[in-house]
Amino acid sequence: MKPTVLVLDPTDTVATTLCELAEGQIVEAAVAGRPKAITLREDVPPGHKFAVQPMAVGDAVRKYGVTIGRASAAIAVGAHVHVHNLESCRGRGDRSPGGAA
Amino acid sequence: MNGLTVAGPAGRSPASFRGLRRVNGQVGARNHVAVLAAMDNVNPVARRIAAAVPGAIAVTAAYGRGMYAEDRERHDHCLIAYGSHPNVHATLVIGLEPVTATRWADMIAASGKPVRWLAVQTEGNTPATVSRGIEIATAMARAATLEARVDCPLAELLLGLECGASDATSGLTANTTLGMVSDRIVAADGTVILSETEEIIGAEHLLAERAATPAIARQLLDAVAEAEALARFQGVQIWPLGEDNIRGGLSTMEEKSMGAVRKGGTTPLREVVGYGQRPSARGLVFMDAPAPGVENIAALAASGAQAIVFTTGVGNPIGHPLVPTLKMTGNPATAETFRANLDVDVAAIVTAGESLDSAADRVLNRLVAVLGGEPTRSEALGDTEISISRVDIGYLNQRRRSGAGT
Repeated sequence: MKPTVLVLDPTDTVATTLCELAEGQIVEAAVAGRPKAITLREDVPPGHKFAVQPMAVGDAVRKYGVTIGRASAAIAVGAHVHVHNLESCRGRGDRSPGGAA
Repeated sequence: MNGLTVAGPAGRSPASFRGLRRVNGQVGARNHVAVLAAMDNVNPVARRIAAAVPGAIAVTAAYGRGMYAEDRERHDHCLIAYGSHPNVHATLVIGLEPVTATRWADMIAASGKPVRWLAVQTEGNTPATVSRGIEIATAMARAATLEARVDCPLAELLLGLECGASDATSGLTANTTLGMVSDRIVAADGTVILSETEEIIGAEHLLAERAATPAIARQLLDAVAEAEALARFQGVQIWPLGEDNIRGGLSTMEEKSMGAVRKGGTTPLREVVGYGQRPSARGLVFMDAPAPGVENIAALAASGAQAIVFTTGVGNPIGHPLVPTLKMTGNPATAETFRANLDVDVAAIVTAGESLDSAADRVLNRLVAVLGGEPTRSEALGDTEISISRVDIGYLNQRRRSGAGT
């Protein structure tokens, strides 16, 4: 069965998979509106995201056609995108003077 | 099904539900006798009375002593709103002392609700209060059985929207389906309340664009700015992602928000209200209240909502004791493992290619059945709780001193 992989907007830099994907697996995802074959660099569990565009540290990570955070590490196409390489830009009271971070 | 499947705006959805019309004109979905504890030191008394009387339900929350200013106002407002709730036939207020109990009883009576009060210090001790309370609640429950349900249009519905234990399926299936249900209720001139201020951060611009007036857009953006200012004051990151959300694939607050706002559907935003406040507008309304499930449904219930639809990705069982809280999921694994807690599942969107339209029909039909008296799973299992959000008075004082908030 062809895996269900969703790219929700042509400007998105990540895709969401609804099924388990394994490292080395090749999946088809619409990138900038065009179908493209992407080789997964690691396992991606259901509901999780992988990169369909390369991102440098600080680059916007886009899903649903909006920025959902920024890359906290360099992200290659096919890499799992999650809390280890993607961080929130909003509500960062921890970065205010006297904050926790 | 009770002869109520009249064609609705979508041509197949029910246009009415079997509700209870109150003397003050409001419509209820339940006919509870509420045994309401005015403060936490008498919660066990309220619970013992309610446990002894079929049809009675204990309404208890933490705190009530040692609360000041806006923090106390919110606590009292919510509990008095529960005592006056459309889903309540009559209320018995239990106080430790008579001053608070009579004040609350007077406020609840002003809403047109039959109300009595007891205070432990007036009765002498807790066994005496329980014994007297059982007598009063039993008489109230007997009177409640005389009220009959009548057909009420969906325009009378005030529905709360909530999501908890979300995952990546929440935004794609359950919340999108609930958004379609919201649109249908609004098309029938009913009202839906989207809430959870932290969970619109990152998506607030899209919601603000749909505001009916620039003033409403401003209020929405101000509510978000306020949540972020509070986080700066407290020196913490707003982080509404639990371990379950993260395991489910959600990585940031902004991502979670994009899925969460879908519950509200696509209609214009008509009003922004504060914690536990009753909307004055019809249509889509936003309530500025914290996102955690129990706190948020406490606020939605205090607004007078007759029901809440609570979507879940990986499984959150909790409901409000007075307000039937329907649990729905779009996650196929959760649809199996969490079945005992679910009122409706829309996993067939993923597993069987069911259309969102057909899934929305099923959700609305289930909602109408619940409004008409069928118990939800959380009601049947007793998975209900109340936590009223605390107010950070230190933040409010700092804001007042800096002259920011007026």
